[in-house]
Amino acid sequence: MSELKRTSLYPAHLAAGASLVDFGGWEMPVQYPTGIVAEHLYDRRKCGIFDVSHMGRLLVEGPDRLAFLQKVLSGNAAALVPGRAQYCMIPTETGGAVDDAYLYMYEPENYMLIVNAANTEKDLAHFARYLPDYDCRITNITDSYSSIAVQGPEAEAILKELSGAETITGPKKNDLGQITIQGKPVRVSKTGYTGDPIGYEVFIDAKDAVWLWNLLIDRGARPTGLGARDTLRLEAGLPLYGHELGTAPDGTEIPIFAVSLARFAVSFAPEKGDFVGRAALETQRTGTEKKIVPITLTDRGVLRGGMEVLQNGQAVGWVTSGTMVPYWVLDEQGQPTEATGRRSIGFAYVDSRLGPGDAVQVNVRGKLLRGELVKRHMRQDLPPYGRAELLK
Amino acid sequence: MNYPVDYKYTRSHEWLRDDGDVAIVGISDYAQDALGDVVFVNLPAVGDTVIAGESFGDVESVKAVSDLISPVTGVVCQVNTALEDAPESLNEDPYGAWIIQVEDVTDCEDLMNAEDYQAFCEQEG
Repeated sequence: MSELKRTSLYPAHLAAGASLVDFGGWEMPVQYPTGIVAEHLYDRRKCGIFDVSHMGRLLVEGPDRLAFLQKVLSGNAAALVPGRAQYCMIPTETGGAVDDAYLYMYEPENYMLIVNAANTEKDLAHFARYLPDYDCRITNITDSYSSIAVQGPEAEAILKELSGAETITGPKKNDLGQITIQGKPVRVSKTGYTGDPIGYEVFIDAKDAVWLWNLLIDRGARPTGLGARDTLRLEAGLPLYGHELGTAPDGTEIPIFAVSLARFAVSFAPEKGDFVGRAALETQRTGTEKKIVPITLTDRGVLRGGMEVLQNGQAVGWVTSGTMVPYWVLDEQGQPTEATGRRSIGFAYVDSRLGPGDAVQVNVRGKLLRGELVKRHMRQDLPPYGRAELLK
Repeated sequence: MNYPVDYKYTRSHEWLRDDGDVAIVGISDYAQDALGDVVFVNLPAVGDTVIAGESFGDVESVKAVSDLISPVTGVVCQVNTALEDAPESLNEDPYGAWIIQVEDVTDCEDLMNAEDYQAFCEQEG
């Protein structure tokens, strides 16, 4: 085992008393002393900050950069204009996912691609197979910049207060911007992995990361670890590579179109031309045998990835991710109260004939418990709060 | 970390308190801290037989599930069903939030006293 890498925020995690774990080769905070449940609830109600500096940041430059990205990514990079970002997949030739990624265009002359930390080396090796045909180069700039996700209802107010800026980014998801905090330039994107209707990710010179982190805490944001990052993304219905993307519990490749986000991530626009996995993806678009659907456990218990899902005694698939997730109880007007609850939710990779509203059973360590496939776990369309959507 | 002296401890981090006719079982402060937020407890039923060294239920945190190992062989005479709705009691008050009470105890694992258990935990890191 090689030594674990550390982000520039490592001293801040130590100072905060974080529990640190090996995450994709990085020594990262899984939780802080308040615990995952409190961190999740605080993010949904106020503001959570997350060290996402471990994620791979790749600078794509050169005259053929657009052609190259059109070849190796699923999205239409030609549709990206300066000041915008887009979610995309890095497809395999057979229409599975090497990784999922976010493509940013801060400047007209280059792109920044952000990939999963654990996949960075694999992605670079995958890109190297196609690069020789293009006048384009990729530089791994992960270590030069730090990245902090600032998520939750108070995220915008906190960044405005710190920068004095009237607007942080444009109003739309995936809008980019630049603010200045005490003279230091900070790049911002209206993106995130929590599903919070208000949320940003900021990029800053690695040497200034701890300084900014502490400023955010002074303004009321709270450090949030990888544990809550996972419960938040699960509640928001966002896929995670290695669970909903990549390889299924039976060892087969999960087709990209099994994930509902694929319809935003894959483009067959004419200007995109042929690209890695295109033929397979065109077939998948008409339907996949199995699909990824949110699932809620109705019996008492906890869903976990790998558990078998059944309907009328017949195996129909697996749980790909699952845990127990807290939520703020809403009043009759849909406003969050001071009361909290918890529920076991997840994703299931099941026969495509099944869908939201269907009753299923889950094999929870030998016991068949009742569950239901659902449309979503949370409403994200009523800012400032992400609101839990419970079974009736 | 708290290691009260009137409890005995297993290597799998349960505690046992001898209360005359019954043995009371819970999880230690070290265990709850290592687990993180406990979000679900799978309890046995009154009348179930538990066996020393074998699982009698499990506790689940956000991240993982862990077996509960019985320190004794006997019959479950009381179950702390309040944990079903408030599993977080195991984090908040690990030595107050007992899990089961066992009667007709016929066998017991080798248990550690508080001092030995503390040394054992410190060694585990």
